[in-house]
Amino acid sequence: MAQTWLTAALWVGLALIASWLSIRTAISVALVEIVVGALAGNLLHLHPTDWVNFLAGLGSVLLTFLAGAEIEPDALRKHWRPALVIGFVSFLAPFLGAMVFARFLLGWSANASKIAGIALSTTSVAVVYAVMVETGLNATDIGKLILAACFVTDLGTVLALGALFANDNGWLVAFLLVSTLVLLAAPRFVESFLHRFEGQISEPEIKLLLLLLFGLGGLAAKANSEAVLPAYLLGLVTAGALARHRETMHHLRVTTFALLTPFYFLKAGALVQAGVVLRQLGIIALFLSVKMVAKLVGVYPLAKIFRLDNPTAAYTTLLMSTGLTFGTISALFGLTRGYITAGQYSVLVTVVIASAIVPTLIAQSFFRPKVSGMEVLSEDEALAIQRQEGSDAP
Amino acid sequence: MTTPPFRKILVAYDGSEHASKALQIAIQLAAATGAELHSISVEEDLPKYVATVGEFEEVKRKRDEYFEQLTTEARAMAWEQGVSLHTHVRAGHEVETIIRFCQEGGFDLLVIGFMGHSRIFERVWGSTSQTLTRLAPCSVLVVK
Repeated sequence: MAQTWLTAALWVGLALIASWLSIRTAISVALVEIVVGALAGNLLHLHPTDWVNFLAGLGSVLLTFLAGAEIEPDALRKHWRPALVIGFVSFLAPFLGAMVFARFLLGWSANASKIAGIALSTTSVAVVYAVMVETGLNATDIGKLILAACFVTDLGTVLALGALFANDNGWLVAFLLVSTLVLLAAPRFVESFLHRFEGQISEPEIKLLLLLLFGLGGLAAKANSEAVLPAYLLGLVTAGALARHRETMHHLRVTTFALLTPFYFLKAGALVQAGVVLRQLGIIALFLSVKMVAKLVGVYPLAKIFRLDNPTAAYTTLLMSTGLTFGTISALFGLTRGYITAGQYSVLVTVVIASAIVPTLIAQSFFRPKVSGMEVLSEDEALAIQRQEGSDAP
Repeated sequence: MTTPPFRKILVAYDGSEHASKALQIAIQLAAATGAELHSISVEEDLPKYVATVGEFEEVKRKRDEYFEQLTTEARAMAWEQGVSLHTHVRAGHEVETIIRFCQEGGFDLLVIGFMGHSRIFERVWGSTSQTLTRLAPCSVLVVK
């Protein structure tokens, strides 16, 4: 037992260092945890234990659930047509590009190539959102369209991850059947449960969500699918309910980021082999280029068709080339199931991290659309107007 | 009748001691000249490359609450001296956001507090005040 406590102390100590560095540098704690994990993995030979693997797995499932639950249903409804087209092509082009590159130019196995395609098909909604808040684009129609398209891309990634490796057997049928029923019933059921129980110290509503996530995740695993698929879909269908219950959402985020995702991101970093990364820098650069060029070929023409001007179309394309959470989840899935080697995992995770940073920097430096600072309302200005409108209402 | 020297004044306000002095001076200037007064507060240390929207939103919500309180107090302070203060809160890099806002708003005076760093930092990078003074499209008043 003493060894377990000491192992826990080491992991939590690393998480603490990552939190401190993240706050000091204003860089995402997730990214810092991956880097700290990589350093610890290569310098201290940090290895995940069984219980670390469970917590990390739970962290990735909750992370995916939160990612699905953060969608704005109204924005998706309003822009569904361009969002669906841009988002789907934004998934498909890099998926095919990276898969073909890995299979035919690098000679990776068929399954490893599929993992490469899935890991690099992603778009990071969160990275895009954070960038847009700085430009003020998140409050505009174009910004909402881009974000809705990013959700569609991630849906494509999660569906591919859940479907491409699933067994064609009775468990898959059971998983699909139960998932469909739960996803149909969840919006109303979860809403009424939230309404009834939110605010209790024992958080029954969070336990309900965990029950659904565990149950569907277990069925997904039995079908050799991936637990993040039902997690993302459950997040999507309950997004509206959770948006009306901010307190539960806040508690879920705090629980996830304080206790679970540190294990996930530290583990994701600890499995990266620094030697492989250094030896394969050229391959990493080529993979990143493949992802960005594929996004360019797929997304840019569509952005033009949907009447975005040149800089905004280029900006949209670059932002949709970003990736982080689903990229690492896909790569880790491939490594855990034995579809990719530790070396291939190291390459893919490094490309994913680079894709969070490089396209964002290019977009912000050269293609930032002009959104007038005077036209964008601050939070308190918007609230003041809402209050005014409320008091003016008959 | 002479034209007032400044018709539209922008003050950068982050709640720090020097920024508060700058706000006081800006309010006095606006009261004396009848100029329109705006303040800009920049949320500059929001996390980058986040894993979920929530990771970003939770930090931003805290910053919003802080700046909402700050700007409410600033408006009350200006009101006491008969000046209507238009407050704005933006996310982004401090210098870039203030300069951009200044350009787009057509301000003819930017009032800032002296924002110092360590001597080594200033020698290598220059201070925020120096950079703002150099890049601003209008006159700049640095309050110490």
